[in-house]
Amino acid sequence: MSTNVLAQNASPSGDRGRPVIELVGMSKWFGSFQVLKDIDLRVYEGERIVVCGPSGSGKSTMIRCINQLETHQEGEVIVNGEAFGSNVANNDLIRRDIGMVFQQFNLFPHLTVLENCTLAPIWVKEMPKAQAEALAMSLLERVRIPEQAAKYPLQLSGGQQQRVAIARALCMNPKIMLFDEPTSALDPEMINEVLDVMIELAESGMTMIVVTHEMNFARRVADRVIFMDQGEIVEEAPPAAFFDNPRFDRTQLFLSQILHH
Amino acid sequence: MSDSTLVTTDEASKALVFKPKPPRPAPPSTVGVAGWMRANLFSSVPNTLLTILGAYLVYSFFSMLINWALINAVWEADNRRECLDLVGRSGACWPGVVEWLPNLIYGLYPKDQVWRINFGFLALIAWAVPLWLPGVRSKVAIGLSAVLIYPFLASYFFMGGEKGVIWTLLIALGVTGFVWVWLTTITEMRYGLPFTRVMAGILGASGKPEEAQRSYGRASMGALFLISLIVVTQWELPEVQTRFWGGLFLTLVISGIGITFSLPAGVLLALGRRSKMPLISLLSTTFIELFRSVPLITILFMFNTMLPLFLPVDVEVNQLLRAIVAVCLFAAAYMAEVIRGGLQAIPKGQYEAADAMGLGYWQSITLIIMPQALKIMIPTIVGNFIGLFKDTTLVSIIGLFDLLSMSRAVGEDSRWLGLFIEPFFFITLIYFLFCFLMSQYSINLERRLAAGARR
Repeated sequence: MSTNVLAQNASPSGDRGRPVIELVGMSKWFGSFQVLKDIDLRVYEGERIVVCGPSGSGKSTMIRCINQLETHQEGEVIVNGEAFGSNVANNDLIRRDIGMVFQQFNLFPHLTVLENCTLAPIWVKEMPKAQAEALAMSLLERVRIPEQAAKYPLQLSGGQQQRVAIARALCMNPKIMLFDEPTSALDPEMINEVLDVMIELAESGMTMIVVTHEMNFARRVADRVIFMDQGEIVEEAPPAAFFDNPRFDRTQLFLSQILHH
Repeated sequence: MSDSTLVTTDEASKALVFKPKPPRPAPPSTVGVAGWMRANLFSSVPNTLLTILGAYLVYSFFSMLINWALINAVWEADNRRECLDLVGRSGACWPGVVEWLPNLIYGLYPKDQVWRINFGFLALIAWAVPLWLPGVRSKVAIGLSAVLIYPFLASYFFMGGEKGVIWTLLIALGVTGFVWVWLTTITEMRYGLPFTRVMAGILGASGKPEEAQRSYGRASMGALFLISLIVVTQWELPEVQTRFWGGLFLTLVISGIGITFSLPAGVLLALGRRSKMPLISLLSTTFIELFRSVPLITILFMFNTMLPLFLPVDVEVNQLLRAIVAVCLFAAAYMAEVIRGGLQAIPKGQYEAADAMGLGYWQSITLIIMPQALKIMIPTIVGNFIGLFKDTTLVSIIGLFDLLSMSRAVGEDSRWLGLFIEPFFFITLIYFLFCFLMSQYSINLERRLAAGARR
């Protein structure tokens, strides 16, 4: 059995309060194709969830629904007790608590690393420029690339860009961080530098939902692993149980395909 | 093996140490001027022959041109007959062009009022100079004021006449804007502070809170406006009707307004066409497709002859204004499609990242999307500007004397009858100069903005 120190520390038994994220009976269609089928999920403060599954299983769509980059058609998405609705201004307010890191980094290529980080604090939170820059520098130090602050994103390696993207998301001081396959577009040599930053973030108690194929990361960091297929949550379990005793044949097949080759 | 890549260490247990080979310079025959010429001009026998032939053609063309335009040219004569008697057709007859030069530049604008045009354009240059000066920080405000406030000042200088109350206020605004631009340029270059702050300091508000400093700044701007207002009411320029406008001046007025209007209007139309709101999208698309599918000349005719039919009898819209509106709308429709092309080149991830960070629609458009879209489209946007600049020649069809029709008038003058080639040659140089400068500026701009793409 694998040890999971983090998971034991962070999820005290008993009352865990109100979940920070609640997906209630959420369904979504692309045209007539149903990508998400009655998703129910509760995530509590400080929890770290890893979502895995074959491509096309709806895992990216699901976390993109959590900050409403994709809109769902049925059910509810509730963040910090507030449901996303038709009020655009209110939705933007709910979003401020959610940081997101993308597979393709999505840094702004026309702005320097520092400007990428200070943009949202200055324009969304109306923070004074000097304060925003100090904040950005402290977070760039946290992801260990303060020396790149004056460069443009395309001058950096993929791993460095992804770490900037993490720092940029953290600049808004989010309560929840979403990671959508953060290491899938990286060269193998750069995956670890990004995972190290994510592990450090997890250790600091951030609520995280990570879509990834990095199973070692899941084993080490996750409180729960969620396996999705065909738009449904097939199985969710703590990593030890998930990897050693998967209950469904579909999960077993998936794990055998990605773990043994 | 002296440059071996692998060096073994003494101990067998240690790993081999990898030493990369040092880079060597490229073979000399492939670099430098000689290498370039060998690769591009003399790479083979046919290529060498083509190079020699091409050089001969270039030489003979330019020697002919220089002979005609300079060496055989006549510089002093009273009429075209004298020119022809002196050199026949082998040399250019420049005196006609020289005599008509003021008309080619200013049209039929009264000679004693021409200083107003010069002053107007110098004011524009002076307005824009701070944009290139180091240490000036209010560049956005200065640029915006040049686009939004300068036109009031310029149009009064060019048109003159009675000022109503509204015009008096607008001209005073223009004067205030101009004075502010230079005061703030000077204070920012010397003290690193905008003019309003320095004024607040002089008035003794430097230690006071932010809000107090701002109100002192506003008060000093108000005082500046009042002074301008008093000055403006003191002078009046005689009216010059727009039918006397012409030549390069008219060309610059029409194309300048067209260019300044088409960019923001094009941005809004492009955003409108991509809007998720059906009505806005439908209206923008209809406008764009309507104006793009009709030749500019037709639009000019429509505005010139048909628009008055739809307006009440006593409403008279100036002919120049009608032409300018037609050019603006036409240019905006084209610009909208250029900008839409730029918008489509921006990856979806950029919108998503902006959304995920909580930026609103206009914030993501102005901070993230437009800067990138406009940058990608600089060559096409400037190409459109150049096209618009040349398209203004079409206004001659509805009876406006732009540069082209003014140059045609030279050959219709009884003393210079038939003198067409020389004025055309002259305005060709003018058109080339302006278009070339625009294209050079765009290349320069691209290079400066390429920072983000540099690896």
